[in-house]
Amino acid sequence: MKIILVDDEQKFITMLAKRLAMRGIKADIAFTGDEAIQKSRDTVYDVAVLDIKMPGISGIQLKNKLSGLDPELKFIFVTGHGAVGQSDENLIDTDVYLAKPLDIENLIKKIYEITKTG
Amino acid sequence: MRKKFISSLKIFWPEFHKRKGNIHLEPFYTFTDYQHLWTMSIFVLALTALIPLCIVTLIHYQLIQKSVDSELRLRTERLTSNAKRSVAFFMEERLNALIFTVDEMGYDHLIDNKKLVEILKNLKHGFGGLSDLSVIDMGGNQIAYAGPFNLQGKNYKDQPWFAQGLKNKYFISEVFTGYRELPHIIIAVRSVKKDGSIFILRATLDTERLMQTLTSYKTGEYIDIFLVNNNGVLQTPSVHYGDIFTRTDLKTFNYSTRTEVSMSTCQGVPVILGHSFISTDTVVTPFILVVSKKKQDMMYAWLELRQKINWTVGISVILIVLVITFASTFMVNKLYQIDNAKAQTMLQMEQNQQLASIGQLAAGVAHEINNPLAVINQTAGYVKDLFSFKDEVRDDDEIIENIDSILEAVDRCGTITRQLLGFVRQFDIKIKKVRLKKIVADVLSFHKKESEYRGIHVTVDIPDTIPDMETDSGKLQQILVNLVNNAFQAVTEDGCLDIIGSQIDTETIELVIQDTGCGISEDSLAKIHEPFFSTKQDQMGTGLGLSITYGLVKKLGGNISVHSTEGVGTSFTITLPIKIQERELA
Repeated sequence: MKIILVDDEQKFITMLAKRLAMRGIKADIAFTGDEAIQKSRDTVYDVAVLDIKMPGISGIQLKNKLSGLDPELKFIFVTGHGAVGQSDENLIDTDVYLAKPLDIENLIKKIYEITKTG
Repeated sequence: MRKKFISSLKIFWPEFHKRKGNIHLEPFYTFTDYQHLWTMSIFVLALTALIPLCIVTLIHYQLIQKSVDSELRLRTERLTSNAKRSVAFFMEERLNALIFTVDEMGYDHLIDNKKLVEILKNLKHGFGGLSDLSVIDMGGNQIAYAGPFNLQGKNYKDQPWFAQGLKNKYFISEVFTGYRELPHIIIAVRSVKKDGSIFILRATLDTERLMQTLTSYKTGEYIDIFLVNNNGVLQTPSVHYGDIFTRTDLKTFNYSTRTEVSMSTCQGVPVILGHSFISTDTVVTPFILVVSKKKQDMMYAWLELRQKINWTVGISVILIVLVITFASTFMVNKLYQIDNAKAQTMLQMEQNQQLASIGQLAAGVAHEINNPLAVINQTAGYVKDLFSFKDEVRDDDEIIENIDSILEAVDRCGTITRQLLGFVRQFDIKIKKVRLKKIVADVLSFHKKESEYRGIHVTVDIPDTIPDMETDSGKLQQILVNLVNNAFQAVTEDGCLDIIGSQIDTETIELVIQDTGCGISEDSLAKIHEPFFSTKQDQMGTGLGLSITYGLVKKLGGNISVHSTEGVGTSFTITLPIKIQERELA
């Protein structure tokens, strides 16, 4: 399984990637949307973990673009703006939302869940 | 009964008197001085209604007074004229009879006593009112006499009436006592004997008969009819002025053939006086007929009417004032209620705006904090992982423990920021699927520490079978926060707070929040939903909590009721529709 973490908070995803690696999940990191698009052109990922609020391309826009490149790709959204149930019309029910600060065990659980059901 | 009466008086007592000073609310009132508004309204309306009433009443009084006066004058004048005509006729008739006797009989016939007695008898029979008859020569000697008194041979030379009798052809005297020492009137006719000398035929008028004539005109007790002479001496007894020969204070009347009416006083009491000089075609008498009526007695009917008018006007004034007070109170109350509602809405809007902006600020802060928290979280997690995955430090409990404390602190911060963000959302009016149990748990989490410190037992009994509600979660949350806050303020240490949820039917759920606190008194119970009613004077309570709660429950299409016993506890029961209609939120 291969996943990509996209967040402008560099230290956050760096640490997260390392911790996932320790748990046997290989994660690439991207600090901007463009970087994430670039990387997903080279590599096929199973899951993309996206921050919703980012400078430049937002998490939602990025999802649309990445879906265009790989329709099979699953998404997990991470947001600092409150808990589950954001009232954003662009989000659909099949997406998973997690609130910051993130519980890594919960993240791993969700990753496995969507890759299995998907 | 008394309570009922007192409560019925409330319609005259405006509500603003019960107003509790609320400095937050004052700036939003359109009218500041309701007391002034109320009194001015009553004053101006009363003035507008009562001034015309008073003016009309006064004019009415004057008109009635004038018409009564003129009626009194007219009646007195008529009575005086009629009585005068009767008295004049009485005297004239007897005088004419005497003239006829003198002309027909001649001197020789008259001085015969027997014949004179016969003549007196005939006169009495024909006319009545004569008591004796006598013939007197120029020297005042009584030549012949017929009558009941022993006056034969008396000389009248020195009597005042005799001189008058000689002087005038016909003469009627005043009332005097004379030789017989009884009040009487003399009628005298002067005539000439064959030898050219003068003699007088004198008759005495029966005063009793005269008085009877006068009395027959007395139509009521308050009317006094009598005769006076030119000097104001009574010639017949008077009810008001005294007995015969009493000198009265009646002013000297100027001679007139007409009947005259004037206003005067008798012993300080106002009277209407009618008078008329009694004269016949042949002779002027010394009598003045006077009719005296006490005005007060005559005015009795008018006074009674005036009393009725006074009562009617008095009752009308009271009714007008009552109606005006009621109308003013009603209008000012309505104005006050509208103004109060406006002020409360304005205040609530202001508070909502403040809350909203504080909420927005809190949301911003929470969001900004969440990112560094995420970094701390992951970094600390990474450090923990490093240690956890390395065998040499895996068993070092101290390091793991410290890192766990960092992670736990981050977790707690995360919970707080999540809740802050949750509250911000209550300003968005949006219907969402809400799990009642979760909302209750969220609200109670704020009081977790407090309940632990104070030893308050909190029990939540909400079965999982209750379906998710479709409602405004923010409002529901606010309702619960207010009620739970109140319960926490009411209970003492070791008190209990129970939150029990149940489904009543397919459309409604019920939530009971009961505590074992101090309870609410019966008086306060009726007012707790009123805005700005607060028993927490010392604790700076705004008195808005329960009224907002009440409003919010209504907005969610539900109902709220309260049962409380002082010293035992309070129980709030809320029923809410499981699925709220959109229009109910509008």
